[in-house]
Amino acid sequence: MSLDAAHCITCSDEGVPMTVTAVRPGAIALCGTDVEVMVDLVEPVEPGDVLLVHAGVAIARVES
Amino acid sequence: MKFVDEYRDAELGRALAAEILTTIEPGRHYKVMEVCGGHTHTIYKYGVDDLLPENVELVHGPGCPVCVIPMGRVDDAIAVAHEDGVIFTCFGDMMRVPGGKGTLLDAKAQGADIRMVYSPLDALRIAREHPERHVVFFAVGFETTAPSTALTLMRAKAEGIPNFSVFCNHVTIVPPLRALLESPDLRLDGFIGPGHVCTVVGARPFSFIPADYGKPIVISGFEPLDLLQSVHMVLRQLADGRAEVENQYKRVVPEEGNVHALRVLQEVFELRPHFEWRGLGFISSSGLKLSDRYADFDAELRFEVPGVRVADPKACQCGEVLKGVIKPWECKVFGTACTPERPIGTCMVSSEGACAAYYNYGRFARERVVV
Amino acid sequence: MATESWTEEHVLGLIERVKAKPLRFRDEQITMAHGAGGKATLTLIEGLLGPAFGMTEFADAGTLGDLAVTTDSFVVKPIRFPGGSIGELAVNGTVNDLAVSGARPLALTLSLVLEEGLSTEDLTAEVDAIAAAARAAGVAIIAGDTKVVERGRCDSMYVTTTGIGRTDARARLSPSALVPGDRILVSGPIGEHGVAIMLARGEFELDAEVESDTRSLWPAVDALLDAAGESLRCIRDATRGGVASVVNELARSSGVAIVVREADVPIPPAVSGACEILGIDPMYVANEGKLVAFVAPEGAEAALSALRGVPGCEAAVDIGEVKTEPAGMVLVETAFGGRRVMDLLVGDPLPRIC
Repeated sequence: MSLDAAHCITCSDEGVPMTVTAVRPGAIALCGTDVEVMVDLVEPVEPGDVLLVHAGVAIARVES
Repeated sequence: MKFVDEYRDAELGRALAAEILTTIEPGRHYKVMEVCGGHTHTIYKYGVDDLLPENVELVHGPGCPVCVIPMGRVDDAIAVAHEDGVIFTCFGDMMRVPGGKGTLLDAKAQGADIRMVYSPLDALRIAREHPERHVVFFAVGFETTAPSTALTLMRAKAEGIPNFSVFCNHVTIVPPLRALLESPDLRLDGFIGPGHVCTVVGARPFSFIPADYGKPIVISGFEPLDLLQSVHMVLRQLADGRAEVENQYKRVVPEEGNVHALRVLQEVFELRPHFEWRGLGFISSSGLKLSDRYADFDAELRFEVPGVRVADPKACQCGEVLKGVIKPWECKVFGTACTPERPIGTCMVSSEGACAAYYNYGRFARERVVV
Repeated sequence: MATESWTEEHVLGLIERVKAKPLRFRDEQITMAHGAGGKATLTLIEGLLGPAFGMTEFADAGTLGDLAVTTDSFVVKPIRFPGGSIGELAVNGTVNDLAVSGARPLALTLSLVLEEGLSTEDLTAEVDAIAAAARAAGVAIIAGDTKVVERGRCDSMYVTTTGIGRTDARARLSPSALVPGDRILVSGPIGEHGVAIMLARGEFELDAEVESDTRSLWPAVDALLDAAGESLRCIRDATRGGVASVVNELARSSGVAIVVREADVPIPPAVSGACEILGIDPMYVANEGKLVAFVAPEGAEAALSALRGVPGCEAAVDIGEVKTEPAGMVLVETAFGGRRVMDLLVGDPLPRIC
């Protein structure tokens, strides 16, 4: 997630580690208190899992 | 944050830098291309370049899916944004890319309803909340970002959302790399591979680099130590006479990529026969469009877009910078007519572009060791 | 194709010459970037406003004899956030502009633009906050104005304060006074205000608490003037555009280079984490209760001790120094051991922050 118009989330290919706080129906995980992340690619997830998120989708799990 | 701090340790960095010094042949000049804008960003943010000897040169490649969008496509986007009833959504970084007649930011200041989103899901939410308007999402990015668009479209289709469409400008990474390698004026010794693209597509799509061109490629993470280690691994391969695909980012990248992601991409997208890359010209099979199954969500079918091809300004030498043939400061307009505030070409548009990164961060590097 | 004379130094020299030219304001319309406190703001001020009013020096306060005068508008959204509200910002922001100019704050004027529909409860809360902040800062509110605009025209309220102070005899401050060898001190951890605002906007989530650091800086300035008056070159409060903007402006005004040691810059872990997620460098994030002081080396130790004795500035630290080359630029020595340039902001990462 980036609010800086000069920082390119796609060009920087960024992956932000986020922690799952709740699981919603339809393969959505809540990270923090209101960031919705699509988890179709890394299911199943549970609260406490750390996911690598890019543009609203979890592309991998982060092994801690 | 535990996940990142250990990969930024200065002492480990110095140790790796010392290792690198012992791995290279004195007097030989090495050119290693890092393709991914994120790697460019890390190199400049931490000054990783400064820890390398002068004879190891990092060349920045075309890893900027936003800045390679041709000016004509930006004009098309602006045309759609000005349509009655449209809410046009895009990532923040797209707002400053110049088209033939200005940027999306300019269009917003002129009254078009253009909103920044952090994910296509946000755009879909806006569509649900505003059934009386039509929401268009400007989809950009490599294979890392395409799954996000695809999954959003699958949800839109499943829910039967009638007022949402996507203006698709996704591109794939392998064709431009092949085009670069085929280029006669290119002389590269090895590659640093895009870590998060590989999370989706795996390491195998890059095996053509060692197989067809005999060059090593190491898939790298994004922290400074990741990069230094990956450079070391490339140099190690060269010293050993090997050429293979190695994965330095094993903690995240699975060898085979993400099977679900690949399936989802095949369901929602198909390859365009060719797509124009700003600075690089037309490249076959390098761009994605929505498949017929998703035609209802294709903004290009729903709206009349001008579709005019706008040629790059004559002074622009982005193509040569992208191929690593010239350095940013060697471009005739670098820093004078072309600056981050008033960019002419793609390399200056995004802060991860080679020219913008050099202008913003790299102008006064340290003295480096010559081996 | 590169020619013989087109060396890297030549090009970099060209860039520096272009940058050294007076800024011309060529934009066709105002965008949010003009409010960010970075390059666009500077161009607007130096390229349009300055020439129109015959101003060539742009300090935090203007002077009339031994009186210092300054003014600021506050358009922060939302009007209440962890650690403070628009009312407190309005008092402390203007008080601080006087303080860092070396003037003891005496009085404020207060203009309120109120939105139709603003509840009396919200208005009273801000009026009380303004009164409390003014008392704490030792300033009197001596004049003011109130206007009301239609619903939707000003996000609850806009506040403008004009501050009047008396220049302190101990102060010999000027933005062009820096010389190579001078030290750079910051009065405490940076980035809290900007991050607190973003949290209040609910645009992202964080597990930690971050509060705005809004407070009057006069006690800190007073202590500095006392301990190191002769050696004090310049003081700035690091508001819009953060510490990065301050050091860039000073490097430019004095024609010197500034080197900042990243590892020494105090950043609270919560701010670091937030900036990581937002993709912003904490050095660009606004503060509302932090100052940056530029001190001659012989006075640096005394200045630092004095600062650390002021409540709220216990974590004051030396973060860098002034050098000769490259003139007008700021370099950062990264914690990783490399080096990079730290330029003025181009875009507007955090709009309506103060």
